[in-house]
Order: sequence, then structure tokens, then C-alpha cells
Amino acid sequence: MQSSTASGNSGNGGSCPGRVDLVCPGSGGEPGRICPVYVGTCGYSYTEWVDSGFYPPGTGSKAMLGLYGRCFSVVEFNYTWYQMARAEALARMVENAPAHLLFAAKLTRTMTHERDDNWRQQLALYRQGIEPLGKRLVAVLLQLPPDFDRSITHRNYLAALLDGLEELPVAVEFRHHSWAVDSVFAELERRRVTLVAVDAPPLPGLFPPLDVVTNPALFYGRFHGRNREGWQSGNIQKKFNYDYSTEELRAWCDSFLAAMTGRADRGILLFNNHVRAQAPRNGARLAALLAERNGGGR
Amino acid sequence: MGQGFRVRERAVLHFNVADFAVAVERVTDSRLCHRPLLIAPLQGGRAVVYDMSEEAYREGVRKGMPLREATRICRGVAVLPPRVDLYRRAMQAFLKELQGYSPLIECGQADGHFFADVTGTHRLYGPAPDIGWRVRRHVRTSLGINPIWTLGTSKLVAKVASRLVKPVGEYIVTPGEEEAFLAPLPVTVLPGLTGRELVRLADFRLTTIGALAGLSRHQLMVPFGSRGDYLHDISRGIDDTLVSRPAAGTEVIEYEHIFADDSNDQREVEGVVATLVSRAGRSLRGRQQVARRVGIWLRYSDGGHVVRQTACRIGTAGDFLLHKMALAALQRAWTRRTRLRGCRLVCDRLQRRSPQLLLFPKPEGPELGRRRVLAAMDTLRCRFGHGVIGVGRQYPSAAGEGDADSLAGH
Repeated sequence: MQSSTASGNSGNGGSCPGRVDLVCPGSGGEPGRICPVYVGTCGYSYTEWVDSGFYPPGTGSKAMLGLYGRCFSVVEFNYTWYQMARAEALARMVENAPAHLLFAAKLTRTMTHERDDNWRQQLALYRQGIEPLGKRLVAVLLQLPPDFDRSITHRNYLAALLDGLEELPVAVEFRHHSWAVDSVFAELERRRVTLVAVDAPPLPGLFPPLDVVTNPALFYGRFHGRNREGWQSGNIQKKFNYDYSTEELRAWCDSFLAAMTGRADRGILLFNNHVRAQAPRNGARLAALLAERNGGGR
Repeated sequence: MGQGFRVRERAVLHFNVADFAVAVERVTDSRLCHRPLLIAPLQGGRAVVYDMSEEAYREGVRKGMPLREATRICRGVAVLPPRVDLYRRAMQAFLKELQGYSPLIECGQADGHFFADVTGTHRLYGPAPDIGWRVRRHVRTSLGINPIWTLGTSKLVAKVASRLVKPVGEYIVTPGEEEAFLAPLPVTVLPGLTGRELVRLADFRLTTIGALAGLSRHQLMVPFGSRGDYLHDISRGIDDTLVSRPAAGTEVIEYEHIFADDSNDQREVEGVVATLVSRAGRSLRGRQQVARRVGIWLRYSDGGHVVRQTACRIGTAGDFLLHKMALAALQRAWTRRTRLRGCRLVCDRLQRRSPQLLLFPKPEGPELGRRRVLAAMDTLRCRFGHGVIGVGRQYPSAAGEGDADSLAGH
């Protein structure tokens, strides 16, 4: 039985909670290979998760990452989207984080949603800011807004931005459907940039859920929830208020997982439906399902 | 503390519109963008800078600097008179935006500063950083101004963070990080320290907040006395001050006069006080209010200032009693021979004028006549401007000044 509170472990237990080493069947009688999949959440510091019982009562923000590490092995930093990454603060955080925890960091909004002329300076600051994450940085997440369509200007901007992020592990999440074309995937593949597989409400105009792997080093899945009404409400609490059922997660695994694990060395699956601690609950549920698919073993 | 009672980590957002008056003026006239701008009364030889743009600040202009000096330092600068009512309306619009997220909001009078306590609102509106970002985005879209926003576990931490990102930006100080965040910063960014305390800190080579935090309460008590406790707490990011809505009765009416030339002429100063009293009295009567306290704030030419007040049990809106109280406060405040640069009159402890008639009316006597004179003067001033009529003791130039240079705060 998987626990969905920070007091217990999720996934396979052991030193890397939330990580499942999936066995991919080999072709033509060759032995199968292992694809480690890390399950986690988008952000970890939510007061709401104390109220909802994921963190023990009275948990302060400072203690949350340590407790989070008991359940998961990867976390995505949200706050680097709100403000520029600051090296000294990240260094302190990494120092106190559990040793097995890997990090994904969102690119700051001044380079994605609120693009400004000085984005190159912003990018330089960002690169300095995330330096303390070192080899534990699994991906820089470049989340692009819904109005960022595949226009010439946007394509040029994205190309320049990806050039600026060279040598970093980068993942791109599109929200606009116009980017779902082969030429985009081919270019991402050429640059070894991960295309984020999104799970969101089936609304017109949104980027579709795909199992395309553009970077053999990493696949990256983000579960936003499927709350159709909440998605366009403008209220973050409504937008991400969704609880994935076991059947939905199982169906997702059936449709997407085999293709992705077969083409990438490792993957991360992150839940963004933070409301009422549904994200860590669903993460634990998915980790359990993955372990189950693996025959219960690692 | 009761069993089961837990203190929740606080989440205090601070919004600060740098150079608020300039920002509002630029919204009303986009031609003022990207050029140095000063807000200062245009009349009066000794007018001082009320607010200035970032460009003027970089040239060396500061608030309170004489306008003549400011225009000399910053050549080609545009100068506009302060429109306090406009700034107050902009504050109200900003406040309205914030009220959608928290009932606990503290704001200045017309300075673009807001604190919002969003502790415990996460279930309704999401994480505090998201609220900060959303408010900024809405204010930027609807009002055209771009505030700094910072987040901390107290007003102190949020305030200090805002000083690091001026004129635009954001700063989130994670709970538990307060001491580490403050430690490398210079002590000058701490709010609430007096000039003397800063000099004393420099004498002891306590230049960073971390160095200050390294001293115990007892060590700090030796040079700083009772302020040692305060310094000890703020250097560690400890601040229990609540974000408080202005309580009823904290509103004030205030008017200020800046002398054309620094003065210690008793007749001139008393004349100015009489003028300020006539303005405040008219304002009170117009609002159907009475003041129970009158304060005089004197600013000396050497930068020193003194505030003294006089209170009365029953409030008044009549110029005669207000004047008597103001003179008493002036007498207490004016103890130095140094010349005065400015004088401000503050009427507070305001309350509504009671419509209740006396059960046994006193014989009217001269009071009735005074009331009639004031009513007639108010009618004339309402129609032809404040300077059209005044009592003999008023200082002529001050009596004729327009509303632009009287900074009325309500």
C-alpha cells in the first residue's frame, strides 16, 4: 500500500522514493534495458498541503523539502518562474535538500510570459542563479504561454532562447496547438531539447497530448489536471483542482508510457494539480501503478 | 497558548510603486515618460521637491530638496505641481485591486505603499507568490503602473526586500530564510533606524545586518539603551507588527507652508499658522467634522523638526478655537532660535459634528456672530477661492496660495 503523506514513502521505497526503474523489453531476443522514471510534483512548498494532511500538522516551509524527499526523488521549482533564480538562496536550499532529490527549474516569466528586450541579460542572470543546482539539475523547463503561437517572430525568439540555453538540459512545454508539427519536433530533436508531454483538459487550441520523444536523454511529462471549467476561470485554485483516478492514470500509462520509455534513457513525470494536495497523492498513485506494471519489483 | 493552537507562518506581500506621484502623472500624460520629472509646488521661492523620477534621482535630486537646487542639478527637467487628490484616487484604485485578495491591507496616504497579509488565503486564491504576481499584472494592465512586489513572513522582511529591487522587480524571501537573507545586507536598508543610530552603528563598524545580529541583547543595550531590543530583533528578521487597516478616527487633515525664505519672525510664523488654521477649519466644516487635537510640525533650516500638539475634550471646527489650540502647540514647539523652513498644521482625532441640540441652550453671545462670519467667509471662498478673504492676522502670501502647494491629507 502506497502512502500519500510526507511521513511515508511512495514508489518502491528504498533510497529513491518515487523512482521506478521500468524494464523496457528488448527487441529480437536482446535483454531489456532499464529506464528510470522519477515521479514528483510541480512545487513542494504549499501551506495547503499541511491543511490537506500531506505534511504533518504545524510543518513550516523550511522543513517541507526534507519531508517531500521522503516521498519523491524529483521536484520542479515553481518560484523560479515568479522571480529570477538567486544563486545564494538556491545554494542554501540544495545544501539542506535530501541527497537523492533531483531538480527541474522553470525559466523565469520575464523570458517566457512577459518577454522583454533585455531577455539576454535575464538569461545570463538565470544561468548564474541556477548554478548551485549543478548535476542535480535534470531540466530547465521553458513553459510558453497560450498566446505564444508558431509565428515567425516567436520561432526566431525561441531559437535564440534555446541557443542561449545551450549546454543546459532543456525541456519545452508548448500551450499553443500550432507547435504540434513534425518540423518543430525535428528541430527539437536536432538540438536535443525535450518536448514536454502535457496532460491538460481537452480544450480547443491547446497543445495536444503526444508521446513524441525529441531527446533520447530525457522524457518529461506534466499533469495539469483535466478541469475544463476551471482552466479558463483565471483562478489558480480552480484551474488546478483535479484528482486523477487510478483508471485515468492507468489509461495514460497504456497510451503514452511504452513509447516514451522505449525511446529515452530516463523520464520525469510531474503533477501540477497542487490544490488540496492532489498532486502528491496522484504522484504516489502513479508511482504505485508504475511499480505494479514492473511486476512489483524495481 | 491553548492546546492545539498553532501559529501559522505569515505571508505578507508588500507593493511599492517607486516614485508614485511621477508614475501617476506619467499615466495621465505619456509624453512625460522617459524624461526627468519633478513634482513640486510651483509657487513659493522655497518650494521643495515632493517627488522625482528615477532619471532625476540619478542626477542627484532628492525628496525635500529645494526646487531651485533641484532644477539647477537636473537641467531641462519638467516640473509639475503635486495633485494629491489624483494620487489618492490612484491609491484607492490600487487598494480596490488588492481587496480582492485580502481583507488585511495597510496603505500609506498617497505614497504607493501597501502591505497585504495573505496568510491563510491560499485555499481561495492560491500560493502567495501567485497573488503578488497577479496583483502586479492587473495593476499594470488596469492602472498602467508597475509596482515592485515582495513577499516575506513579516512587514520588515518584505520592506527590506523591496529596497533591494527598486525601481522594478520582485523578491520572495522564503520562510525560515530571513536571517540568512538579511545577514549580508548593509544596516542602512533596515527601516526605522534614526540618523543617530546609523552613525553609532558606523562608529562600532557594524556595517552589515549580520554583524549586528552577532551581538546579544545585553551587548546592544550598552550603546543603544532600550532600542537595543528592537535592533536585536530586526537584525534577525523578527517582526511581529501586524498589517493593520487604519482604524476609524486615524484620518487627519493637514496643511503645510514652506517659507519663501527661512524665517524666525514671530509675526510671520503666527500669520502662517492662522492661514493654515483657516484652511483646516474650512475643510472640517465642509466635511461636517470636528477635530479634537491640533498639532504643529515645525521644520528648521538645519533639518531638525519638532512636533507638539494640543487637545480639547469637545471637538471644534471653528477657526477661533482651532487657532487658539494651534498657537498653544506652536508655543510649545518653537523653542529654538534657528530659522524655520516650513510649518505644518495637523488636525486629527476627527469625529462627526453632532447634530444633537443642547437641551438647555447657552445664550449665544459672540459665538453666534463668529459662526455667521465663518459661514459667510466659507460661502465667499467656495465661490471665489480661498485667498479672496481672510482675517487680519493671516499671513498675506500664505493666504493667497492656491491649493496646489497645500498638501492636504485626509
